[in-house]
Amino acid sequence: MAVMTGPPELDPALVRAAQRGDRIAVADLMDALAPYVGRVCGPIALHDGPDAAQEALIAILKNLRSLRDPAAVYGWARAIAVREAIRVARTTARAVPAELADVPASGDPQLAADVRDVLARLTPEHRAVLVLRDLEGLDEQAAGALLNVPAATVRSRLFRARRSFRKAWSP
Amino acid sequence: MVAVNQDWPVVELDPVRRMRVLAAATPGVAYAEKLIPAPFNTVWEAASDLEHELPRMITDLRSFEITSAWGERMIAHARGRLGQRARFDVVLRPGWCVMQSRFLIGGMAAVPEVGGTRFAFLGGLRLPGMRLLAPVLRPAIRPLALRPIGRLESRLRVRAA
Repeated sequence: MAVMTGPPELDPALVRAAQRGDRIAVADLMDALAPYVGRVCGPIALHDGPDAAQEALIAILKNLRSLRDPAAVYGWARAIAVREAIRVARTTARAVPAELADVPASGDPQLAADVRDVLARLTPEHRAVLVLRDLEGLDEQAAGALLNVPAATVRSRLFRARRSFRKAWSP
Repeated sequence: MVAVNQDWPVVELDPVRRMRVLAAATPGVAYAEKLIPAPFNTVWEAASDLEHELPRMITDLRSFEITSAWGERMIAHARGRLGQRARFDVVLRPGWCVMQSRFLIGGMAAVPEVGGTRFAFLGGLRLPGMRLLAPVLRPAIRPLALRPIGRLESRLRVRAA
């Protein structure tokens, strides 16, 4: 089971000040959101994580005025971060995902039960589903809505992604 | 549920990447970065000496006086060459500085990099309408951000001598 430590509380007044154009508040808000955005972008974009997090934060801060409810800032930022991470990971096409059956068996010294190794075998879309379900705790409906795919697609992607972890770690 | 441990890759954005974000999200500011061939501590010691070095980097500035400070937050009073005055809110910590008055925004960031220190400078006006002008202004005003970096490099050579 994933460790789902929620992001820290954010003062709505800080969000509103940033929305009004206070650049110190914008910088403070970026500092507050950056760890959370980095946690979402890292597993999806992998090597391109820093670029993805940078692009996600730019999109978040540029569109801040469109956020109606400051209390919803993390959920709103998460949706942008997931989309940017998938986009950046797709664009660079650095990793060509292998068939999931090719995931190394446990005991393979190259694998070393490394999460990153297993994630690298998945497509960005599969990684996004894992992040939303297992790290963020979203249900299939919510994850599907965020990714703009049906819940059934989320379910099948999740099945394949989790199977790759089982293959990697089962004795 | 599949066992997922705490080894998931996470991303931490360094101060220069954060300054790129701030620049991209702030309409109409001049932004530039450069690799300065000097150690981070040397570069940041000079750049963060706002009262002495900022007026040398920004020649329109006659003085920049910090009047109160608490933690990494400060209030500074600036005076321009033409006698104009402005009160600045400042956030200053290692590798990061953001300054804002009613009409101006400024920022500096630095990170160690192979070959020296990557240094970023941001500056611009906070005026209504900058959002519309930003696409036109951005390429034209980049040299305005490179000049203060060049002056800082000159100062580093003087300080080292």
